[in-house]
Amino acid sequence: MDKALEIKRLEVSFIPAGKKRVKILRGVNLAIGKQESLALVGESGSGKTITARSVMRILPRSMYLESGEVLIDGTDVRKLTENDLMDMRGRLAGMIFQEPSSYLNPVFTAGSQIEEAIKDSEFNLGSSPLRGEDMVGVKARISRTERKKLVLKMLSEVGLKENVYYQYPHQLSGGMQQRVMIAMALINSPELLIADEPTTALDVTTAYGIIELLKKMMTRYGLSILFITHDISLAANFAQKIAVMYAGKIVETGPARDVFSNPLHPYTERLISCLPERYKTGERIKVIEGHVPDFNALPKGCAFHPRCPYKKEICLYKEPGEITKGTTTVMCFKYG
Amino acid sequence: MKRYVLRRLLQFIPLLLGMTFISFLIIQMAPGDYFTQLQMNPEISPKTIEEMRSRFGLDRPVIVQYFYWLGNILRFNLGESFSYHVPVSFLIWQKLKNTLALSFFSIFFTWLIAIPLGVYAGIREGKWQEKALSFLAYVGISIPSFLIAMLMVFFVARTMVLPVGGTTSVFHLQATGWEKFIDYLRHLLLPGIALTLAGIGGLYRLMKNNFLEAFNSPYITTAYAKGLSSFSVYFRHALRNAINPMITIFGYTLSSVLSGAALVEIVTNWPGMGRLILDAVLSQDLYLVMASLLIGGVLLILGNLIADILIASADPRVRLR
Amino acid sequence: MKNFLRRLKRTNSLSFYSLWLLVVLYALAILADFISPYPYDLQCREYALCPPTVPHISVPGRKLCGPVVYGIVVVNPAFKEYAFDSSRRYKIRFLVKGPERKIFGLLKTDRYLFGVEEPGKIFLFGTDLHGRDVFSRVLYGARISLSIGIIGVTISFVLGLLVGGISGYFGGRTDTILMRTVEIIMMFPFFYLMLALRAAFPPNLSSIQIYFLIVIILSLIGWASLARIIRGMVLSLKEEEYVLAARSLGISSFRIITRHILPNTLSYTVTALTLSIPGYILGESALSLLGLGIQEPYPSWGNMLSVTVGNLRILTMAPWMLIPGFFIFLTVLAFNFFGDGVRNVTDPKNW
Repeated sequence: MDKALEIKRLEVSFIPAGKKRVKILRGVNLAIGKQESLALVGESGSGKTITARSVMRILPRSMYLESGEVLIDGTDVRKLTENDLMDMRGRLAGMIFQEPSSYLNPVFTAGSQIEEAIKDSEFNLGSSPLRGEDMVGVKARISRTERKKLVLKMLSEVGLKENVYYQYPHQLSGGMQQRVMIAMALINSPELLIADEPTTALDVTTAYGIIELLKKMMTRYGLSILFITHDISLAANFAQKIAVMYAGKIVETGPARDVFSNPLHPYTERLISCLPERYKTGERIKVIEGHVPDFNALPKGCAFHPRCPYKKEICLYKEPGEITKGTTTVMCFKYG
Repeated sequence: MKRYVLRRLLQFIPLLLGMTFISFLIIQMAPGDYFTQLQMNPEISPKTIEEMRSRFGLDRPVIVQYFYWLGNILRFNLGESFSYHVPVSFLIWQKLKNTLALSFFSIFFTWLIAIPLGVYAGIREGKWQEKALSFLAYVGISIPSFLIAMLMVFFVARTMVLPVGGTTSVFHLQATGWEKFIDYLRHLLLPGIALTLAGIGGLYRLMKNNFLEAFNSPYITTAYAKGLSSFSVYFRHALRNAINPMITIFGYTLSSVLSGAALVEIVTNWPGMGRLILDAVLSQDLYLVMASLLIGGVLLILGNLIADILIASADPRVRLR
Repeated sequence: MKNFLRRLKRTNSLSFYSLWLLVVLYALAILADFISPYPYDLQCREYALCPPTVPHISVPGRKLCGPVVYGIVVVNPAFKEYAFDSSRRYKIRFLVKGPERKIFGLLKTDRYLFGVEEPGKIFLFGTDLHGRDVFSRVLYGARISLSIGIIGVTISFVLGLLVGGISGYFGGRTDTILMRTVEIIMMFPFFYLMLALRAAFPPNLSSIQIYFLIVIILSLIGWASLARIIRGMVLSLKEEEYVLAARSLGISSFRIITRHILPNTLSYTVTALTLSIPGYILGESALSLLGLGIQEPYPSWGNMLSVTVGNLRILTMAPWMLIPGFFIFLTVLAFNFFGDGVRNVTDPKNW
């Protein structure tokens, strides 16, 4: 297997209490190669977070995986038992979230929260710089002191001081909290990290530090990253590949540079032209006309057509399929 | 910590003064005083009554009386009961220990039952088990405590499984210490169970809501995402956060011990503070009423203080300042 | 209103039916004169502590007949033992004639909703120590218990709104003084304060005086917590973004208060009020139970229960004396369910 993560035709439904079921992921296809980073871009409500959570199988109670496959390093997480899922989370893939302040438990110290993420048996991942030579191939329980040593080492890896071990989340700044989250997600050296808008709640300089840390960890650990953001320029800056999501579907995927410099889908095009750094002084702020569609009443045909300047007649009743054009794959009738 | 406790205690002093002063006014507002009833008795001469009035200071203005009472309190003298002719402190201690026994018994079992049920219902939210429990809780909240007590008295009187009323049986004098204790417990059971049943519903609901609130927090998602078991997520992450508000509630429970048990005590004929204060208020036994109110106030302060200290030690975000 | 009911039924059907239960209970209380077969103070001494006369629609050995009650036989007057004689049957008739009395103190009539011919008696809930019909007394007692909650809450609410509003709006020293007062009141053990306040007034007042005294006592205790809630709401609403936004748009204070603040507090206040009504009902019951509330011969649910306190003999012999307690429970349950339903419906999050 040369793919760290592969998502095929993934469909997820939302069943609000006492209401009709709504499909919110409508056949998502995605692939991330080993040691590759892919940024999933889209407006809020397009299904980015749901995609990420489907990978970890941590959807809210009211959402269900309908069909499709989610393969992490070749393992289909949909077929795992409850116990195997627990083992998968953290060991195969780790996840960090948007607001570290509310995603950390307020009543436990940072150290104890990282420590409890450590998996006991089967440490044969010798490639990890974290564990060192003496830890290779160690099985069974890790002792208390070993665990603490591991956490302290991890803390320094993410650029935090040792005393953070004893501190509670509310005593840490937002950036430090996010670093704790990263330490927690990577303590078992998974090959895949899912980062769900990790910098959105942080101020610019702190966010920069986190992005740099993620890049560093990627090369150091041989990580693959699924990076979720609504900011397409950040996506282009950070990731090797970009996937653009609209109304529960991936409408365009390709190498970051190509997508950013030569967007094919009208939606991607709009996203990029709306970026503030593209404006000249005095120019009016640009927005994408119309609204994010309501999943209860998706337009027929291509979901984007009510907001699309290039719409043709066929867009009104038929959904476009995937079309490969150069390095990029796009879903739009503009290209045939 | 010490400074905090001291400061809080100092803050409570004006409240306590205000409360006792208002009580004094309310009681003195009542027409006549304790000795008005004695005047009806032809065997007691008006002169004796006047003498007694001045002995207890009842012939002086209300304000003077209040400070006279306050001065005695500061010397740990709660005064003397008009009707029983014994120190108030003695009377209150006789009854207070029964009330405390009853309250602690019921608090213990209320918590022992309601907390696990609340957590269980929180875990099974939306399932039939939770719906059934929550419906029962509604019923429990809505039955007045005195009605539960009456129903229990009825049931017990019909079946004779437990003694009704009082704290001791006839054989009490010959009994050994151990037998006396068991006998006391048997008497305690009827009011104790009634009070426990009356309290479970409310506490269950609080616990369930707290648990659900904690369980729907983002950090629960993190806990799942790092591969923890459901057990660990429920009982380490969710429960630990859900229990914090309950600690405050626990403090407040301590402070409402006197009020909460009074009606059940009267209905089940348990010789606690309830009957004592009822009679004292009716006969205008001034110092007895004042002392009971004072104890109520002090218990409230202690309850609040205990709640503050407990929550500060349990929640790292709370600092005593 | 119709919209509200529909939504109530949809989101919380249990609370919808509770509302109907409350409507029925209030209707029974209002129509007590007409529905109850006997006046509340009519004593049938020879039938003291008589068990309920159960209406039968079939008679042993024979087929169906109209609803009848059997004749009461006094077996042992000293021990209040009774039996029913199925050979003596009295038909239950509707809209029967009886002694003339006024309904609502206005309408003179001699018709009763139902009754049986003399010398038959119909005691649906049995009789009390003085041979009075418990069913009739429960209906008359409902007037006290059901009205006291509403009036008490109204007075508390006005007081609470006034003090809480002033405190929250002006802040500063006014706020400190008012809130200290509130804290002092909340410091009293509730039960003791109720007793002390009651004792501050002469024990022998007329029924109507005692009724209002109880309402005032309960409101005097109850307003404090409401004032605190309202103060908190006023404080937070003053700083709410949409209020600030409205103010910066130059909208007048009156309009801000009526259009922006009040609608936002309304749902919360209505819920808080509904859920605090049971407290007043229980308070009245407790006072009357201890003999400090409504005085005989006028019934309230509380004072009807008071004969059972500390009297095991009556309690075991005549458990139907607890029926008023069951009505207290039913009313409180209905208010609790209804209040929760109101909260669900008015919470904008649940729309």
